[in-house]
Amino acid sequence: MIELQVRDVYKSFGGIQALNGVSFEIQGNQLIGLIGPNGAGKTTLTNVLDGVYRPTGGQVWFNGERIDGLPPYEIARRGLGRTFQVTRAFRRMTVLENMLVPAMALHPTARQRDFHKKAWEVLEFLTMDHLGREFARSLSGGQQKLLELGRLLMLDPDIIILDEPFAGVHPKLMETIYEYIDVVNKQGKAFIIISHDMESIFTLSQRLLVLNFGELIADGKPGAVKRDPAVIEAYLGEEEEEEEGIVLIEAGDMEDAEESDA
Amino acid sequence: MTIPILWLVLAGPFWAALGAWRLPRVYRKKGLDDAPARLIGGLGGLTLGPFLLGPLWYFTPDLGRWYWGGGTGILAAFELVGLFAIMQSDNLCVTNASYVANQAANGLTIGFIYALMAVGLTLIYSVQGIISFAHGQFYMLGGYVSYYLLLFLSERFGIEVNPIVGVPVAGLVTMVVGFAFERLFLRPMHLGRVERAGEYAILITFGFGFFLQYTALAIVGPFSQKTGTYLQAGSLQLGTLVMIPNRLIAAAVGIVLIALLLYLLNRTWTGKGLRAVSMDKQAAAVTGINPLRMNTLAFGIGTMLAGMSGAALIPVFTWVPWVGMTASTRSYVIIVLGGLGSVPGALFGGLIIGLVEALGAGCYPDPSKGAAYKTAFGLIIFALMLLVRPTGLFGREP
Amino acid sequence: MIKRLLQPRWIAMVVLVGLLVASPAYLKDSPYQMAVVTGAFFYAILASSWALLAGIAGQFSFAHMALAGIGAYTAGILGRDLGTTPLQGIIAGTVLAGLVGLVIGILCLRLRAAYLALFTIAFSEILRIWLLTEFQFTEGSNGLMLDKLWEGITGVQEYYVMLGLLLGSMALMYWLASSRFGLFVRSMREDEEAASAMGVNVVRYKVLIFVITSLIVGLAGATFYHQVGIVTPNTMEILQMSLVIAMAVIGGMESLLGAAIGAFFSRVSLEMLREVGVFGFTIELGAWRYAAFGLLLIFTLRFAQNGLLYPIIDRLFMRGARKDTVAKRTLAEEET
Repeated sequence: MIELQVRDVYKSFGGIQALNGVSFEIQGNQLIGLIGPNGAGKTTLTNVLDGVYRPTGGQVWFNGERIDGLPPYEIARRGLGRTFQVTRAFRRMTVLENMLVPAMALHPTARQRDFHKKAWEVLEFLTMDHLGREFARSLSGGQQKLLELGRLLMLDPDIIILDEPFAGVHPKLMETIYEYIDVVNKQGKAFIIISHDMESIFTLSQRLLVLNFGELIADGKPGAVKRDPAVIEAYLGEEEEEEEGIVLIEAGDMEDAEESDA
Repeated sequence: MTIPILWLVLAGPFWAALGAWRLPRVYRKKGLDDAPARLIGGLGGLTLGPFLLGPLWYFTPDLGRWYWGGGTGILAAFELVGLFAIMQSDNLCVTNASYVANQAANGLTIGFIYALMAVGLTLIYSVQGIISFAHGQFYMLGGYVSYYLLLFLSERFGIEVNPIVGVPVAGLVTMVVGFAFERLFLRPMHLGRVERAGEYAILITFGFGFFLQYTALAIVGPFSQKTGTYLQAGSLQLGTLVMIPNRLIAAAVGIVLIALLLYLLNRTWTGKGLRAVSMDKQAAAVTGINPLRMNTLAFGIGTMLAGMSGAALIPVFTWVPWVGMTASTRSYVIIVLGGLGSVPGALFGGLIIGLVEALGAGCYPDPSKGAAYKTAFGLIIFALMLLVRPTGLFGREP
Repeated sequence: MIKRLLQPRWIAMVVLVGLLVASPAYLKDSPYQMAVVTGAFFYAILASSWALLAGIAGQFSFAHMALAGIGAYTAGILGRDLGTTPLQGIIAGTVLAGLVGLVIGILCLRLRAAYLALFTIAFSEILRIWLLTEFQFTEGSNGLMLDKLWEGITGVQEYYVMLGLLLGSMALMYWLASSRFGLFVRSMREDEEAASAMGVNVVRYKVLIFVITSLIVGLAGATFYHQVGIVTPNTMEILQMSLVIAMAVIGGMESLLGAAIGAFFSRVSLEMLREVGVFGFTIELGAWRYAAFGLLLIFTLRFAQNGLLYPIIDRLFMRGARKDTVAKRTLAEEET
């Protein structure tokens, strides 16, 4: 049983409070959307869960074990995988080698050859098997994104955090990513998806978390969250008609780089 | 005598440990930056013990500004003097205040030239985002240009000119070399024609420095050279200070050129363009500034400053083809100390390093070794700085 | 099995090693040439281990020569003061170099690219100045004398010792680079944060790569300077280090074999070109050799970034990895 508990997490940079007492819980293979205006703390939260940042206060429990303060590689090995906002393939390594890195990290005694078969299967699933021997730097942006998703599968995590998986992706690729999320989710893995693409996030997710100024202002079914006055205010700063209000964000900034710089 | 030793051996480390490990926690709890508290707590605990830690603990004043503004330097100097006083009470630096003042004044004088050279390097870094590992070789080149110019004038035309004439000529020549190198080897990198740009920048500048140095060695040979001095006067008495006019003029050259550079950067359009590119390349490009031209210009100005400081110093020091090595390590020290990309930082860092080298060489317990360790003092500070705060005193946050 | 051994790269390897093993038969009449080739082996070890550290793991360290010097000085000082045998001294020197590498690795965990280069430059300069100044202990610029490896060692024996070290360290580094270790350090070179998120213990591998390369250069340095008989602080100069780097880059810094071959030929040709006879005149090349070498370095960097030997190495060793162009063609096909 997958279980992630975020208990009253705080994170500050110097004097800036990026996360302000965030608490939630994930059980089972839920598909969760995480939204919020720019600077709301979404990427900070991801980095705290992943171990890049150590929270200033609060605890994170994962499958019955406290994981906050552990280094990222320990958390990754315990089954929490993530992608990055900007794709970060290992550019001067072949696609196959990219796939082998997490597998080898997870299995300290295995040999590379043991995982070739699995890697090729995953690549086939992502329709990338013809590129296996290429250097990752020669792939297109979208293919690099798929490669990141493939790498995650080799890590075999319980929870997958996708940071802006739909940003700058053309429709055909979008379908592949949809299918990926669907299939992998049915295999029993939980997802946390951060996105500015409201349409995708509302259709995909079973539950929505909304962050604003480092606080969790809504947590519930997409339909309910959509009508939550606090959410509408967060996005518009004042009361407006709800439907339009949320659609407006789509055209907004894709970038959320303010925290990744911090 | 025994009491301070006991204090240092027993109580000092205890308070230092307390200050370094527990004080930051107090700061963190109050949501303040804990980095300064660690060092100040450690150093202050060692010297002043509970008298400093107590108030810090209770009031938790914001130490940031004081810390990076030189407060740590004062504490560290305090520590060193204390150490000397205990270990070697007859050291000149403890007993003779005017000796210390003289060393300091000489250090500051040379510091201005160090700063001039480092300013060039920091300018290149702020605009191009790379560290030029050939900077010292441009400095060496500048010195030789001046030397051969003066030699040529006196042998061919029989004119003996003041070595100051060499400074602008050396600047011009090194600038042209710098322009050519930038256009040929660095511009392709900025155009994205080179893989692994970061590694390439390190290696290509390093390789060019290597080339310059051995070319100079091949032409000049491994002998030391020196031009005439700026002034014949031997020394200048200012109260208890004894200054060497020759060095003062070199420092004056440094001050004038830094002032000119600051004027260029802050008051002219070109300078504003340079600063704009250093802040945000894309935004600058949108406003119609050509970042590529600014890159070339910045590199040329940087190498020009290195060449000019070489020409300004050749009447003071003797010149060999490998002077560039020490000089460039010294400039790395300065710009990292001051904060990469910060012009005031480089100025400040140059003065600090001048001071540290002069005082270090003058105060080292074994005088015969003090001079040999001159550069090492700066390097030790540099290594510590890299480990503690790679952004330096004035650097932008990473 | 036989078919695998008949692949071009295996044949090339066998021919290469065979030539190296057999060449003393030709060289033994000229002790000078023998010594030049032996020295070239030393530089090949330095360059290839630097290629592992900088080219494969992405850690731009300039402390390599300093670490070789630490190995040699430790062995020499122990031999002088405690009367240890050269072998004991070499072991102690190797261990100390490894420990220093460990400390550098730990200190440099947070430093990247240019900062790491600056830190290691500072480290080797401090060490060099210290060795130069504390002459009562280290003999200063006169250099520290070291015993021969054993009484009555011949040039041929020294040749084989160094060749053995070269082949041994190459085998070790090749094994490392092709195992999981190589996979991890390359992923770390590409993107430390992403590697960490994929479960790679970046801290451990970063420290490990420093320790391993330091051990190798420490061993090579201690052994080589025992053969030379003297070690001076000048061997640790940044310019000496840049010579090693230039050799590795010209040979190809992402390939261990390329760097080693590049260093070998650079060293031999630099030694052989001391003077050149043209139309009966002898021209002293002196420092011009190095100036030309520097020029070769920057042009290699600019126009053949993977090194001059890359095309050969690529053909023989990069199994399976097709060229970028093929990928681009597939891409183009997909988009149409």
